[in-house]
Amino acid sequence: MNVEEALRDAMAAQVAGVHAPPSLGQAVRRRSRRHVVRFRTAGAAVLTAAVAVGVPVALTARPDAVPAAGGLTGTGATGAADPAASASAPGSDDTVAVPGGVVPDVVGKSAAEVNALLKEAGYTVRVTKVVTEEAPAGTVFAQMPQPGTAAPAGAAVTITIATTAGPAPSATEGTQDPRMPQDLGDLGDGRTLGGVHVGYLPEGLEWGKWSGKDGFGKRSYTTSWVEPGLEPGMYSVQMIVYRKDAASVLAKRMQGYAAQGAEPIEAGGRKAYLVSLSEGGDQINDGGTRTIVWTLASGVGVEVMISPDYAAKIGEAAADRELKKIAAGVALAK
Amino acid sequence: MTEEDEAAFDEFLAARSTALLRTAILVCGASASDAEDMVQSALEKVYRHWPRIRHDNPEAYARRVVVNGAISKARRRRVLQEITFAQPPETPVESPDLGLRDVLVTELRKLPARMRAVLVLRYWEDLSEAETAALLGCSVGTVKSQAARGLARVRARMESLEGASA
Repeated sequence: MNVEEALRDAMAAQVAGVHAPPSLGQAVRRRSRRHVVRFRTAGAAVLTAAVAVGVPVALTARPDAVPAAGGLTGTGATGAADPAASASAPGSDDTVAVPGGVVPDVVGKSAAEVNALLKEAGYTVRVTKVVTEEAPAGTVFAQMPQPGTAAPAGAAVTITIATTAGPAPSATEGTQDPRMPQDLGDLGDGRTLGGVHVGYLPEGLEWGKWSGKDGFGKRSYTTSWVEPGLEPGMYSVQMIVYRKDAASVLAKRMQGYAAQGAEPIEAGGRKAYLVSLSEGGDQINDGGTRTIVWTLASGVGVEVMISPDYAAKIGEAAADRELKKIAAGVALAK
Repeated sequence: MTEEDEAAFDEFLAARSTALLRTAILVCGASASDAEDMVQSALEKVYRHWPRIRHDNPEAYARRVVVNGAISKARRRRVLQEITFAQPPETPVESPDLGLRDVLVTELRKLPARMRAVLVLRYWEDLSEAETAALLGCSVGTVKSQAARGLARVRARMESLEGASA
C-alpha cells in the first residue's frame, strides 16, 4: 500500500462514524438570529447610554427603581459602567424587540466549560476570581445575574472563579485537557522551569497549570500562561527553555532567521530575534505567531511566543513590547 | 430569504453537512464536538449570504470557511512538540499494538495545520492541486511542496512501523 492510499484509508476510518446531526439546520438558524439580535442590542445600548447621560437626575432621584430594573437584566452584577446590560432599562424602546433569554445555572462547573456555555447562549462573559477553599479551584463559585434571570442576548454575565492562594495540583485536574502532558508537576506560580526564572509577565496572566518536557528536543522544557477562563489547550504566552542538545537546535534556528533577513534586536542586554513564525518555527512568515528567541547563557536558549488571540486583543505593538519585557526579565534561576 | 431559499438551504445541509463535518475533524485534528461548533459557525456565514451564493458553488464557499476556521483554530493552540522534518522520528512506534491507521492519524495531527489541510484536501476531498491552492489562497507550488513534505513525514512513520513489525 502506498502512502497516499494508506493515508486516505486512515482518514476514512477516522471519520467513518461521524454524521452531522439532523438538528444542524436549526442550530445554524438560531445562531444567525442571535447574530442579528446582538447587533440590535448593541444599538439599544448606545441609545440607553445617551439617555442616561442626559437624565442623571431622574436616575438618582429614583434610587429604588434602578436596582429593580437591574435585577431583571444583570445591571446589578456588572454595574452602571456596562450600558449593554441595561438594554431593558426605562427609555430603551428596543427592549421589546430583544427576545429575553434565561441565564443558565453555571455554579460548580469548570471555568472553561462555562465560558463556552454562556457564549453559546449569547452572553458576554466577564471573569473575576476569588481565593476560596469552599469550591474546587478552576470552578465557578458564583455568578451574576442569578440562574433563571431573564437577560437579553449580548448582556454580560459575571462569573467568579475559585482559586487557591497556594499550589493545589489535584484541585485543577477538572480543568485540564487530559490529552496534555503534565511533565514537570506542580510549578507553583509556573515561573521557574528548566533552570530559568521568569521575572516579568503581562498583568492578568496566570500559570496554565501545564508543562512539557523534551517535546522540543532533548532537555527542553515548556509551559504557558493564560488569561483566566481560556478554554483548555489554548495559551496566551508560552515559553520554551532549551538546554544542551535542544539549545544547539535553537541556535541553528536562530542562524536560519538571520539567513532569512531578520535583524537582531536587543532584549535585556542580549541579542534576540523578534519574528513572526510559521508553525514548526523554522520559517519567518507574515501573519505568523509573534515570537522572541535568544541565548540566555552558554547552552541555554529561550523562546517566548504570544498567541495570535492575545496579540490581537492587546494590539501588535503592545504584544511586541510585552515580549521584549518578558525576555528582559528572564534570568537563570538561583 | 424566500421559502424556496430556505428549502434549498435544507437540501444543501442534507447533502453536504456530514462531509463538511468530517473535513473539519480531519483538518483541525479536533473532537467531533469542537468540529461541529466550527462547522455551525461556518454554515451560519453560508446561511447569511445564502440567497446570493446558492447558485454559485455554495459547497466550495462553505469548505473554504471551514478549512480556514480549522487552520486558525489549530494555530491558537499551544505547541506541544517541535515539528522536525530533517530526520525520521527517534522512537520507532509509540506502541507496537497501535494499528497503522491510528499511527497515521496521530502523525497527521502532528503536522502544521496548513500542511495537514493540504493533505486532507488532496487525499480526502480529492481536490486537484489547483483547487487546493485556490481554497487556501496560496500558489500551486506551495501546495506541491507542502504535500510532499507532509507525505514524506507520514511515509517515514509508516516505514518505521513496518520495520518494527517485520
